[in-house]
Formats: sequence, structure tokens, C-alpha cells
Amino acid sequence: MHKIWALIRASWLSASSYKLGVVFSFGSLILSVIPIFFVTRALQTTMADVIKGQGDQYFAFLIIGLIALNIVTSTIYALPGGLQNATSTGTLEALLATPTSVTAMLVGLSGYEVLFSLVRSLVMLLTAAVLGAQIEWLRLGASLPIIGLVVLAHLPIAIVTAAMVLAFRTRGPLPQVVLMLSSFLGGVYYPTTVIPGWIESISAFIPLTYGLTALRAILLEGRSIASVWREISILVAFTVVATVLSALAFRAALRYARRVGNLAQY
Amino acid sequence: MTAPVSVAFTARPVSSGNAVVLDRLTKSFAKQRGWRAILTGRKSEPVRALSEVSCEVRAGEFFGLLGENGAGKTTLFKILATLVIPESGTASVSGFDVIRSPNRVREVLAPVIADERSLNWRLSARENMRLFAALHGLRGAAATRRIDELLTLVNLVEATDRLVSGFSSGMKQRLLVARTLLARPSVLLLDEPTRSLDPISARAFRRFLREDIALAQGCTVLLATHNAEEAFELCDRVGVLHRGQLVAAGQTSELARQVGEDRFAIWMRPAHPAAIAALTAQGVIRDMRPLDEEDGWSRIECDLRDGLDGAAEAVSFLTNAGVRVARCEPVKLSLADLLERVLEQHRSNA
Repeated sequence: MHKIWALIRASWLSASSYKLGVVFSFGSLILSVIPIFFVTRALQTTMADVIKGQGDQYFAFLIIGLIALNIVTSTIYALPGGLQNATSTGTLEALLATPTSVTAMLVGLSGYEVLFSLVRSLVMLLTAAVLGAQIEWLRLGASLPIIGLVVLAHLPIAIVTAAMVLAFRTRGPLPQVVLMLSSFLGGVYYPTTVIPGWIESISAFIPLTYGLTALRAILLEGRSIASVWREISILVAFTVVATVLSALAFRAALRYARRVGNLAQY
Repeated sequence: MTAPVSVAFTARPVSSGNAVVLDRLTKSFAKQRGWRAILTGRKSEPVRALSEVSCEVRAGEFFGLLGENGAGKTTLFKILATLVIPESGTASVSGFDVIRSPNRVREVLAPVIADERSLNWRLSARENMRLFAALHGLRGAAATRRIDELLTLVNLVEATDRLVSGFSSGMKQRLLVARTLLARPSVLLLDEPTRSLDPISARAFRRFLREDIALAQGCTVLLATHNAEEAFELCDRVGVLHRGQLVAAGQTSELARQVGEDRFAIWMRPAHPAAIAALTAQGVIRDMRPLDEEDGWSRIECDLRDGLDGAAEAVSFLTNAGVRVARCEPVKLSLADLLERVLEQHRSNA
């Protein structure tokens, strides 16, 4: 744990040294909420029926969707991005020469990006609240395990992508495919119930679908965590199976990279 | 496969005094295929990076690996650092096999990553050190003490809290060494550490390596370089790699004497072919080649029997023959000349 925090701390110190970048990052985030507010207000009447039982307010519904999508995007890209960066600068070679486990290294390299996305999510949520989004603030604590599960459920995709980077120096199509499916079929912009016909069944295989259902139930409807046990069970099952498979893929990639000699080659 | 030219260096049985033991270490890499080869399914010929390299480096020794680009030095270092898996043969560090016990190897061996970009330029020297101290399991007061010790050792105390982005190349190289020493390694790998340094910084850095790292810290140091002068200045023993083969290995002084220490340049006026021929006939001069005139002085380059004694003999002979000798000085051997000579000996041994 100490090693993970050391890596996260170094990333934070490095990122925060670009002070203007930090200011712009939060400034643009806050400003991005304003057009969302006006668009959703215009669509409120149209969407009111389809989002019934999920907060009833389209602005809050979409903000939760976008926040979850941002967290998922950061989770999926942080690890392969961190690995690519460490490879191109030569840091990876230096890290691999230390007695640090691969797991600690991977979590440490991607941890800052994921934590930063959580901070950005909170800022986005606060901005939305200022603009009138109806959030059950007392349920914020109960939503944290769900957010944790959403991160964990998407970590295997990050690990497989990192394995691709390690072995073949490319991220491959997996992250884009997952993000595209999650965006359009995971319930980010509209409930999955409005997706027509057989396409709707695809959303059953997308972890974000369950994460969003649970998050909206807790943060918008004020329901308890026990009421979303079904979604939690599915997310846990997905996480366990996918983590085992991705760990195997990563081990194979590491061995392949050591054999062909491109482990620390850009 | 022929045995390397041996100069007071023979394959010895593995002993507890050996920091690094390589036994017939071999590694090939697949050549990258072009689109045509991929589409036609044509397999590429593997490139042999290391070919049955056997060698031992004793604990506390400063060992140089000389070779041109692509000779296999970096591959050998990456195998020792557990970053690359060898195809056949074995390599062990302080008795730990690099394949069977990579974690133990990483505890005792540390490669100095010479790439300055591997430092975090947006962090101070202390923060860079703090990160790697944590990765090596150091924390709290012990970490702070070790960091202070090492920054003092590499003479970066004044710059401790400055961002690395403002450091000179020499300072960055010293910080890289300090970062590596956090682990208290018993074996240190240095891959062309002076390649980005100007001559003055390079000389200071070499002195630092020899005096502060090898002698004071007692580290076994393996230095890969294509700078023959650097290897001869720093190392107790050197090995010469050529196209993946260890073609020579031995005491630096012995190797230098065998392949280059007897090489001299002589400035004289007038040119006196008869005197040179007489010295050649006596065996004092060997392998003579004339050089271009300089400021009216004729110049030759040759091997002189018995080094400095031969030089004195030649100068005396030429002076008695009425030749004015302005200079007679040893020639610094380039890596290309050294390799040529070593390969010549290697071939004649084979």
C-alpha cells in the first residue's frame, strides 16, 4: 500500500505542478455543466415519462450518467496511458528494476487518474446542484461502494488494454468498443428501456448499465443500498470473472514482452 | 564457436566470490517483418544478440563490457536486470538465477537507467528519491536519512529541492546513480553512462564512479561502453563483445598492453627510411604505417617492442642516426582499432 501511495503522490505532485492546467481542467468542467442544464431543461417534458422512477428530473439523470461515464473512461484509459507514458520515458524500466509487485505498480501508475476523476465528478455534481439538480446528498456515502464497484468492474478492461500495450505497443480497439457500447447502450443519456428491440438485450452485458441503475436509485431516488442488491451481485460477478481473465492475459503479455525483449522499449 | 581471447582470464568454476556468472548465455530476437512478409506468411530470420557468452565477474570488481552498437551489451544487461528472458544458458547474480529467482536478483542488482527522461522532471531531486525509496521499501526517518546520505554522496545537496528539469545532464546522471543506490545494491549495471556528457563532465563522472561508487561503496560494477578509453581508465577487467560473442576478456592493463599499449606515434625530421628499416629488422618496430606530415615533421605510427623501453631504444637509435625526434608518444586506441586487433587475435586463436 505504501508503494501505491508513493506512486500516486508522485503523479499528483507532477500533475499539480502544471497549475494553469489544473485551473483550466476544473474551469472547463464547471462550464460544461451549464449547456447541459439548458438542454436538459428543454427536454424535460419529453423525457419525463421515460425516466420515471429514476429521479424524474432529466438534468440530474444525465449528470449522473455523464459522471459515471467519466469515471469509466478514466479507469479504462489511466492504466494503459500510465504504462505507455512510463515506457516512453524509461520510467517503466526503472520501476521494474525495483522489488515492487506488478499489481502495486499497475494500481500506482493508474491510481492518480482514477482518484482525480472522482474529484472532478464531485465538482461536477456540486455545480449541477447549484444549478438545481435534485440530489439525495444524504445518500452520497451509500453511493461510494457502487462507484468503487463500477471502477473495479472496468479495471479488467484496463488491464487487458495494458497487456496489449505491453506486448504490442498498441491499445487495440477494446477501450473504444467498450466506451461506445457503454455510452449508447449503458443508460448514460437515456434509460435502457427506450432502446428498441434486440439491441436492448446487449445492454444486459454492459456493466455500466447496472452501475447506473444502482447509482440513480441511491442518489436520485434516495433508496438504500440493500434495494440494489441485484445490480451489486451482477457487478461483483462480472468483476471477479473479468479480473481473473485479465490477470491471465497480463501475465502472458508480460512473459511475451520479456521473451521478445520489448518490455521497456518504446 | 571459438573461445574468447584470454588475458589472465580463464573460465573458472563458480565460486562464492563471483558476483555475476554467465554460462553459455544465448539470446536471439525475431527480426521485425515488413508488410509483405506478414501477408505472404514468410518467417523472419532471428537475429542473434548473444551467442554462448560465458564469463565471471568477481565481487567488488569494476568490469567493463566493450563493444560497438549492436554488439549485445544492452541485451546482456537486460537479461541480468531480469527484463529479458534468455533463450538458453544461465545467468546468476550473487548466486541467484535470473529466471528462477528474479525477485532476489532485483534485491541485489540495480541497473542505472542512463535515460534522463526516466527521472520525473516536474519533481525535485528529493521527491524523485523519495518515490524510489518507497518502492525499495524504505520509509520514514530511515528513508530521509538514506536520501540525504546519497544526495551528499553525489554532490547534489545544494540542488535537493530544485526541480530536476533545471538540472544539467551531469547532475541528472548523478541523480540517476543516487536513485539506484537507494537499494544498496551489491551489483550495479551502468550502460553508457557518459554518452550525453561533455568531456569535462564525463571525466568528473568517471572519477565519481571509480572513487565514490566502486571503491567507497564496495559495489561490483559492470560498465557497458563503446569508449575504449573510458573502459581502460575505469575497469579492473574488460570483456569485448562483438556480434554477440565475447571475443576477449581479461585484466584491463594486460589487454591494453596486448592490443594497444605498445602503439606509438613518432614525429621526426628528416624521414629516414633506412633507419626505420633497421629498427624493423631488429624487431624494435612492428606494424609501421606512415602518417601525413605535420608542420614539416614526418610522422609514423607503429608498435614498439616492450612499450616505453622500446620507445627509448627507438628514439636513441634514430638520434644516433642523425634524425631529430620531436615527439614519441603512445597512441590512444579507438574502439574500432581495438576491435580490429582483438578480432585479429581471436581469429588467429581460432
